[in-house]
Amino acid sequence: MADRMEITVNGKTVGVQKDSYLLAAVTDAGFEVPTLCHHKDLTPGGSCRLCLCEVEDGGRKKLVTACNYPVRGPVTVRTDTAEIAQHRKILAEMYLGRWPGVPVVQMIARECGVTTSRFASEITDDAPNACILCGHCVRACDEFMIERVLEFAGRGIKRHLTMPFGEVDHHCVTCSSCAYVCPTGAIEIVDDKNRPLDAKAIRDHGMKVNAEMATLDSKQCRMREVGTANIVDVMDAYDLLPVHNYKFGKHPEAKKLYSTTLKAEYFTQGAADACWRGCSMACAKAVDGFTLKTGPYKGQQVLVDGPEYETAAGAANMGCFDGDFCVEFNFYCDTYGIDTISAATAIAFAMEVFEAGVITTKETGGIELRFGAADEALTLLHQMADGEGFGVDVGQGIRWMKEKWGKDGEHAAFLQDIGMEVKGLEFSEYVTKESLAQQGGYGFAIKGPQHDEAWLIFMDMVNKQIPTFEDKAEALHYFPLFRTWFGLMGLCKIVWNDVVPADNAVQEEAHKIPGHVRNYWKFFEGLTGIELDEQKMLDQSARVYNLQRILCRMLGFGTRKDDMVPYRAAGPVTREEYESRADRYDGQLADVVGVDPAGKSTEEKMKILRDFREGQYEKLADAVYRRRGWTEDGVPKVETLAALGIDLPELVEVIKADQ
Amino acid sequence: MIRVNDTNVEWRSGMTVTLALEAMGYDFPLISVFVNEQFVPEIDHDSFEIPDGADVKAIHIHHGG
Repeated sequence: MADRMEITVNGKTVGVQKDSYLLAAVTDAGFEVPTLCHHKDLTPGGSCRLCLCEVEDGGRKKLVTACNYPVRGPVTVRTDTAEIAQHRKILAEMYLGRWPGVPVVQMIARECGVTTSRFASEITDDAPNACILCGHCVRACDEFMIERVLEFAGRGIKRHLTMPFGEVDHHCVTCSSCAYVCPTGAIEIVDDKNRPLDAKAIRDHGMKVNAEMATLDSKQCRMREVGTANIVDVMDAYDLLPVHNYKFGKHPEAKKLYSTTLKAEYFTQGAADACWRGCSMACAKAVDGFTLKTGPYKGQQVLVDGPEYETAAGAANMGCFDGDFCVEFNFYCDTYGIDTISAATAIAFAMEVFEAGVITTKETGGIELRFGAADEALTLLHQMADGEGFGVDVGQGIRWMKEKWGKDGEHAAFLQDIGMEVKGLEFSEYVTKESLAQQGGYGFAIKGPQHDEAWLIFMDMVNKQIPTFEDKAEALHYFPLFRTWFGLMGLCKIVWNDVVPADNAVQEEAHKIPGHVRNYWKFFEGLTGIELDEQKMLDQSARVYNLQRILCRMLGFGTRKDDMVPYRAAGPVTREEYESRADRYDGQLADVVGVDPAGKSTEEKMKILRDFREGQYEKLADAVYRRRGWTEDGVPKVETLAALGIDLPELVEVIKADQ
Repeated sequence: MIRVNDTNVEWRSGMTVTLALEAMGYDFPLISVFVNEQFVPEIDHDSFEIPDGADVKAIHIHHGG
């Protein structure tokens, strides 16, 4: 948390954050200080010297450049003494002598009381868009884009801006950050290859995200530093990290998979790494020189792309709290073309089934597939890829395994409860027991329980922002449509909410991150010329979303029964789970369900809790279908299609029997 | 007693926003705090004292996924 302190500026007491720069404190307090080289979104340069201020610290006075002077004590500051004014006046006259035609130099000179200069010389450049060597572009290239294409060369009056060796550098991704921050127009964009309707609008809104990444990411999600793996630590802290096939939400050994551990021991590139060059977030990470211990490439050193959150959390779900395992599992899933989420969730399910005694080494071909059996999990992964042994069964997925091992009837109900799949797709890696809305986020998702439609756990479980069924249904209407929309546009989700504008908290509907939603609209408008608002965006998306639901119907899914989640997603299936969080569940029985848990057995309490939670999910389904304009069985109504302008005969034909 | 995200938390004199978040186990980096509907900037979390009976909203900007 921030250390707040007070300083005195021109006699006024000002609150500042310790180690913040003096210039920000001074200007926030309402005092104007001239500067040419400072930019609010870039690291201070301190080169123009115009922001000189007098700082008195412990009785000693000194002149400092305010832009890069960190405040560390209760100093007394003066911004406009006669000595400072004289310094600035001379500096301004020198700048005006060299670049007399540049508007921003003229303006600064006027502020300093200078209108003419005695310093014209052979290096005077009269051009109104002359480069004034402020260094904004150099810093933007480095800090916005993590490139160093631009740099200064030469000394003294020969100092100039250049690319390495004076040649066009192929590392330049033409992001235009340099032009965006240039205060004179010295860097001009002369070509927009994709010929969008309004390239400047697209660039300007993209630059907002670049600036946020440069200034906020290190204090927010650390996407450049550790990527999505930052969530491992958070999910473990909030009891949301899946452990042992989603039985639990945290584990004492989970620290072995934390982003801090991954960074310290595995992310050997030590720098940001983008999935495409030019992305300022650059959240993809890599492990260099990793020596494989198993499989067809055993003993070889390889480059591994990842691990991301889902892969690390998948390792926790299998009880394999081992970084080496996580990276190797990641490599082989990528190499085999197997999804790390489905593989981890399916293996975690098989592990629990094995531990419960439903299957034995007879079915597994001798593999002791217990939670935490990392070597065995890798063996199974290789078998899945090779189409051999027990890997053939696990590779079919959870729905297939449930049917195979439950067909005798004895274990069918248990397998259904713990088999974390919906519509045949495995759950991604979040524990949803305490968030009804997120159970719906998974259950009602068109493609099955992936996390790309709605991630509502914090809104629902932690923030308590959506307490009613209607609130949750509204969230399960808006977010799937919004997230489907930017997926349709080919726009990345990460820059929506993995960095957040500094003023987001005080915006209306802050949970939607409205500043970033507007960025997306401006990208669309800049490309097409079509202005968007929320309703237009949602309508665009709803046409596709409803079409997808109808396609589900054509494939034999897409009704209420297909949206039901296994009970493990909603509550404790086993006695072990209930008793591990007995205080929580007992408290909910008393406070929410209205049943006194005293004197009841664990099994009795589990039954009461289950009846309640399953009933809640049904009520949520009713509310969600109403909000989406679907029937009680979860099929789009013809009138909904008509309102969206997609009541095509061939679509109506598919759903007319369901009306 | 104060309410933090609809959960009762024992109040004590001098209880700051930082202490209330610690009491809830909230250490997520993107939390916006409102005390009786007044936004409290992060810079003030260490110094802003929550009055007894206050309603505190600690809004975690949703993430993940």
